[in-house]
Amino acid sequence: MKRTVVAALTAILALVMVAAPATAYDKSSPAAGLPPVLKVGTEGVYSPFSYHDPSGKLTGFDIDVMNAIGKKLGVQVQYVETPWDSMFAALGAQRFDVVANEVTFNDERNGLYDLSDPYVETTGVVVVADDNSTIKSLADLKGKKTAENLTSNWSEVAKGAGATIVGVDGMTEALANLRQGRVDALVNDKLAIQNYLATTKNPGVKVVAQTDDVSRSVLAARKGSGYLPQLNSAIAALKADGTLTSIYDKYFTAKVAAPTTWELVRNNAWPMLRATITNTIPLTIISFAIGLVIALVVGLARMSSQPVVTGLARLYISVIRGTPLLVQLFIIFYALPQLGIKINPFPAAIIAFSLNVGGYAAEIIRSAVQSLPRGQWEAASTIGMNYATTLRRVILPQAARTAVPPLSNTLISLVKDTSLASTILVVELLRQAQIAAAPTFQFFAMYGVAALYYWVICLALSAVQSRTETRLNRFVAA
Amino acid sequence: MSTLVTVEHLAKSFGDHQVLQDISFGAEAGTVTCIIGPSGSGKTTLLRSLNALEIPDRGIVTIGDCTVDFATITPGPRGRLPKAQRELLAALRAKSGMVYQSHNLFPHKTALENVIEGPVVVQGEAVAEATVRGRELLERVGLSAHADKYPFQLSGGQQQRVGIARALAGRPSVVLFDEPTSALDPELVGDVLGVMKSLAAEGWTMIVVTHELRFAQQVADQVLFIDGGLVVESGPPSEVIANPQHPRTQAFLTRLLEPI
Repeated sequence: MKRTVVAALTAILALVMVAAPATAYDKSSPAAGLPPVLKVGTEGVYSPFSYHDPSGKLTGFDIDVMNAIGKKLGVQVQYVETPWDSMFAALGAQRFDVVANEVTFNDERNGLYDLSDPYVETTGVVVVADDNSTIKSLADLKGKKTAENLTSNWSEVAKGAGATIVGVDGMTEALANLRQGRVDALVNDKLAIQNYLATTKNPGVKVVAQTDDVSRSVLAARKGSGYLPQLNSAIAALKADGTLTSIYDKYFTAKVAAPTTWELVRNNAWPMLRATITNTIPLTIISFAIGLVIALVVGLARMSSQPVVTGLARLYISVIRGTPLLVQLFIIFYALPQLGIKINPFPAAIIAFSLNVGGYAAEIIRSAVQSLPRGQWEAASTIGMNYATTLRRVILPQAARTAVPPLSNTLISLVKDTSLASTILVVELLRQAQIAAAPTFQFFAMYGVAALYYWVICLALSAVQSRTETRLNRFVAA
Repeated sequence: MSTLVTVEHLAKSFGDHQVLQDISFGAEAGTVTCIIGPSGSGKTTLLRSLNALEIPDRGIVTIGDCTVDFATITPGPRGRLPKAQRELLAALRAKSGMVYQSHNLFPHKTALENVIEGPVVVQGEAVAEATVRGRELLERVGLSAHADKYPFQLSGGQQQRVGIARALAGRPSVVLFDEPTSALDPELVGDVLGVMKSLAAEGWTMIVVTHELRFAQQVADQVLFIDGGLVVESGPPSEVIANPQHPRTQAFLTRLLEPI
């Protein structure tokens, strides 16, 4: 479901970019050349091309190639980790300059982007479960279910063979789905599958066929970037001096020992906790605080006697509650740059979450205020209080008692909603878990640790909630 | 004695229903005025108009040196009263204290905090000073032992007496009572009426909407019988209650004294 939404969004954003071109893109004229710091988009969870080693360092075939290219051209390379499905949206939004992530050359892509000469060639392979004897060729995929990245080339190949596509996040998820019997097969890159078979003890899957076409992996840049001459000359030089071959051997010929589950948990417990402390918790707290301020203003505006003010408040609440949080995140992060407003991942997430909390909490505050008897307003007015003083001294302290349980719900939801920030490049807890799980296919262990962390945070918040409720209930009969 | 409260030609409609037709009366300083009448007759609306909790359509209310001609109080184009008018109403409100049928105490504040809230927050009195006076007021209504209790810890009669102390704390010229004993259990009514009697004896000017005829007979200086938004009969209780002239007054009193 989530993947479908992402894919739809990516499509919408692509349309937006086509519809509103000019301004942002044409800045780089053909002769501009590479910037001194080249920003490179890559998945970071696509083993063995782009992933994190046990020490947390970004590595992989594409990373090594890109580093070599950067060295050859004398530019500094800086990686921006981005989920594949938003890779081209992020490229368009100028989050980075080049994609190095096994981008496969095709004509459609070539029309939309600057594509370099290939730095590696491979074919696709059809992969099935060990015990499957019915699928023996690409043609056998007709009417079968295959797990694919919706925006990947392999998805097109499988669809062309007549398969039903189940959209997944990446190759690791596709393999997990296959092993769990949720799909019949998958089509993916031969190199990636070879690496998986080489590093996994009991892979549980086998290669049954190759696709006919050779696919060539290229670097992608925005159309008219002017980067191609330099990128192509560097790739040619690396081919000539044998660098590409030696990088190839490192990843696809040598056997690599996969870490055990326990090693994985031990290696990643701290990086995941660090992501929680530096991203998940600050995102939650800051967004909730700002959201409450928004909610108070909007909730009061919603009760105003002035129709214009009430109308604006209603509209805001309606838009926030009527659209998915993921869409709101994408609009702020990927669509606003089209209007020349480019916000970094963390502040963009804060803005989206604050606005979202504001919409929901505004209704909570409004209903809590309206649940108080009219006599409280009258009594305050009789002793001479104005509107603001009445709110501060009489209404809000009482409304707080009614509002705390539903507001706590909002807060606890928010903790988990922050995982969506992973789609706009914030390395929070869930993203860190994906990074850890990617090279090893140990989803259960890593997502289990993530779930545990989320749960502990929510337990702590629940404890704070009961203390607050007890305090606020001191003035009502038990 | 001088006239403290003057009401002239007060009229008020809620939609098609004219609650107050044309009400005029005066109250001398230091006297008790009791307003009686059948339910729906406009008693409560009249009392709330004196405090500007309701805005009458027409009529003039004067309390002490503050006069409001309600014909001039009209909302601005966007439904809000202009600032000068809001200030005028606030000045009128400051002249009176209000005791409600359902007390309307602030449930999140203790008895003492309820009493000193207005003086401290609105009038800017120092907390220490207001506290001393607040304790005196609570003692005055017989609740010095309950100063630090929350409203839910008090009986209905005690809550209502805190409400009286809160109304007195703003040093009003006149204290308005809106059926202060109607919501109470019968055995608690006496406490509240007792406090009101002693306030009357101290010389507070009071206007009381009530069904307690015995209280009116004993304490009131004048009684207004209101029906259909008009003052049907007014005068000292010895006339209006003991010897009513108007048939509607007679019928009302008969129903009240012999309900079955």
